Amino acid sequence: MYTKRIDEIVTDAGLELLIERAKSDDADAFGKLYDMYIDRIYRHVYYRVGNAADSEDLTQEVFMKAWQAIGKYKITGTPFLAWLMRISHNLVVDFYRKKKKDELHLDDDSWITDSAPIPEEAAELGYGQKRLRRAILELHGDQQQVLMMHFIEGFTYAEIASSLGKREGAIRVIQHRALTRLRQILEKEKDVR
Amino acid sequence: MKKVADILALCIEDIATGMSTLEDCLEKYASMRQQLEPLLKIALSIKKPGDIKPSTAFKVRTRVHLMEEIHARRAKAKWWQIGFGEGAQRTVRFGRSRAAAIVVAVLLAASALGVGTAYASQDSLPGDVIYPVKLGTEHIRLMLTTDDASRVRLELAFASTRLQEMEALADTRSDKIGVAISGYQRNMKTVFAETEQLEDESASATLSETVAVAISRHLVILCLIEDKASEGSRETIKQVQELIGERQLRVLRILAGKNPVRATEITLDTMQQWLERANVAMAEAKIKRVEMALCQFVALRGLGNEIAQGAYGPNEEFDIVDEMNMQCTSNHLAILGAIYEKTPEDMKGSVERAMRLSAEGYCQASNSLLASGIRHNLPEKPQLPADIPDGVKARILDDLPEETPLSDEIPGSSGFGDGGPAPDGPLNGSHQSGYMSEDGSH
Repeated sequence: MYTKRIDEIVTDAGLELLIERAKSDDADAFGKLYDMYIDRIYRHVYYRVGNAADSEDLTQEVFMKAWQAIGKYKITGTPFLAWLMRISHNLVVDFYRKKKKDELHLDDDSWITDSAPIPEEAAELGYGQKRLRRAILELHGDQQQVLMMHFIEGFTYAEIASSLGKREGAIRVIQHRALTRLRQILEKEKDVR
Repeated sequence: MKKVADILALCIEDIATGMSTLEDCLEKYASMRQQLEPLLKIALSIKKPGDIKPSTAFKVRTRVHLMEEIHARRAKAKWWQIGFGEGAQRTVRFGRSRAAAIVVAVLLAASALGVGTAYASQDSLPGDVIYPVKLGTEHIRLMLTTDDASRVRLELAFASTRLQEMEALADTRSDKIGVAISGYQRNMKTVFAETEQLEDESASATLSETVAVAISRHLVILCLIEDKASEGSRETIKQVQELIGERQLRVLRILAGKNPVRATEITLDTMQQWLERANVAMAEAKIKRVEMALCQFVALRGLGNEIAQGAYGPNEEFDIVDEMNMQCTSNHLAILGAIYEKTPEDMKGSVERAMRLSAEGYCQASNSLLASGIRHNLPEKPQLPADIPDGVKARILDDLPEETPLSDEIPGSSGFGDGGPAPDGPLNGSHQSGYMSEDGSH
C-alpha cells in the first residue's frame, strides 16, 4: 500500500526549487513538474472516471488549473502532489455533476482485476476490486477523497489533513465513516444479488 | 479511551506495515471485534489499480498544448498590461512603477476632463456621450486594486451598476440595453473566475457567501427587468438568468465546503424566490417563465439535498441544516401545491417532480435526524398540499426513502439526543465527518 513517492525520490530542495521557479512564471520548471506528476494524476483521474478519453481531458485540465493557481501554492503547506490531487478531485466532482452517471462511458475495466491478490478474509466476503471501486465511487466528497488518498495513493493522515484543511483526527473519523458506508453499500449490493 | 476511528486507523497502519496481523489487532481490541473486523477486511482489500499509465502520445500532446497555453496567456497578460483586457485572465502583478504610472494617468485624465465630468458620468447610461468615462473610471479603480478578493467585490459592485442601467433602459431605450447586458456579463465572468480561483483560500467562505447572496439579489432584479424589457431583449435576459443561476450553484458548492449552514440558508432562500416567481408567472399564464423558475428550483433542491448529505465537505451542524431543510420544504410544498392547481395538464409533471424532490429532501433530513437520535417537532413525513389529487400524493409518498436506522452502534455510546457523547460509530451514512472533534466531543 505504501510505496515511495516522487516527492521522496526528488530531494525536497530540488522539488522546492522547481516549484519556486514555476511560481515565478517559469514555464520550463512547470513542464518538469508536469513530467513528474502526469502519471500519478492520470491514474487518480482514471480510477474515478473509468475511461481514457475523459481521463485525458480532465488530466490536461488539472495541469492548466494548476498553472493558473500555482502562484497561490504554499511550499510549506500541503505536499505538491496532494495539492494537484485536490484540483483533480474538484474537477472530477464537477465532471460528474455535468454528466449524468448513465452517460458515462466506462472502458473495459479489466485493469482492475478481480484476481488481484486480496486478503483471504476479504475474498470470502467477495469484495472484488471492481465492486470495491464502484462502491468507493458511490461515496460522497471527502469520504471518497480520504479513502482514495490513503489507500490508493498512499498519503499519510497528516498529508491528507493538510490537503483537505482538516485535523488528522477528523481524517480518521472520515475514514471510519467512509469504510462503514462502504460496508453498507457492499452489503446492500450483496443482498440484491 | 481511544475512539473506534483512531483504533481502526492504528490497526490499518500496523497491518499495512507488517507490524501486526488482522487477528493480532482483533485480539488486542477484542471488545470492538465485531465493529472492527468487517471494516478492516474492507480496508485491507482496497488495492491500488494495476499499471494504469497515460499513452506517451497523450503525454507529449498535452505537454505541447500546456506550453502553448502558458505562452498564449502570457502574451494576453502583456497585452492587458498595455490596454484594458478581459478581467477574467488577470494575472498581472503590478510593480511600483506601474502603479505610479496609473496614478499619473488618472491625474492627467481628471485634469483633462475635469473631476466634475468623471463625477457626472456616474449617472450616465449606455448611449450617453460620457458613458465611456464611467467605464474608464471603473477600469482604473480595478487596476488600482491589488488583492483578488477586493477586485471581486468591486466587480460585483460594477455588476450591480450594470443592472441599474438595464433597469433604467428597459422601458425607455431598449435598443441600448444590450450594452449594459454585455457589461454585466463581463463583470460577472471575472467574479466567477476569481471566486473559483480563490476556492482554497481562507477568505473564500466570506467571498463565496458574498457572491452567492449578490446573485440571489441579481436574479430578483433580472426578473423585474425581464418583465419590463422589450420582446427582443427578453431572450438575452433569460439566458443571463440561466447562466448566473447555474454559476450560483457552483459558488454555493464552494461555500458548502466551508459553511454548509449558510450555503443551505442561501439555497433555500433562492429556492423560495424561484417558487414565488413561478407562482406569479403561473397566475399571469406566462408558462415559459414558470418552466424556467421550476428548473432553477429543481437544480437548487438537488443541491440542498447534496449539501445535507455532506457531499461538499463535513457538515458539522447537520442537525441545523436538516431542520432548516424540513421547515422550508414544508413552505415550498405549500407553494408548489398552489402552482399545481393552476398548472396546465401537460406541465403538471414538472410540478410533481419538484414536489417529489422536495419531499425526498424532507424525508432525507427527517431520517437523518431520527437516525442520530435528535428530536424535533416537525412531522416525520412531509405534509403534501391537501388539494393535489390523491393519485399524485400516493406516487410521491411511495417513492420516499425509508428510514434507515443504525445497524451497529458502539457498545456503551448514547445518542446525541440523550445529551451523551456523540457516537463514535457510524452515523446514518448520510453525514460526513466533522461532527466530532478529534477527542470525540462535539
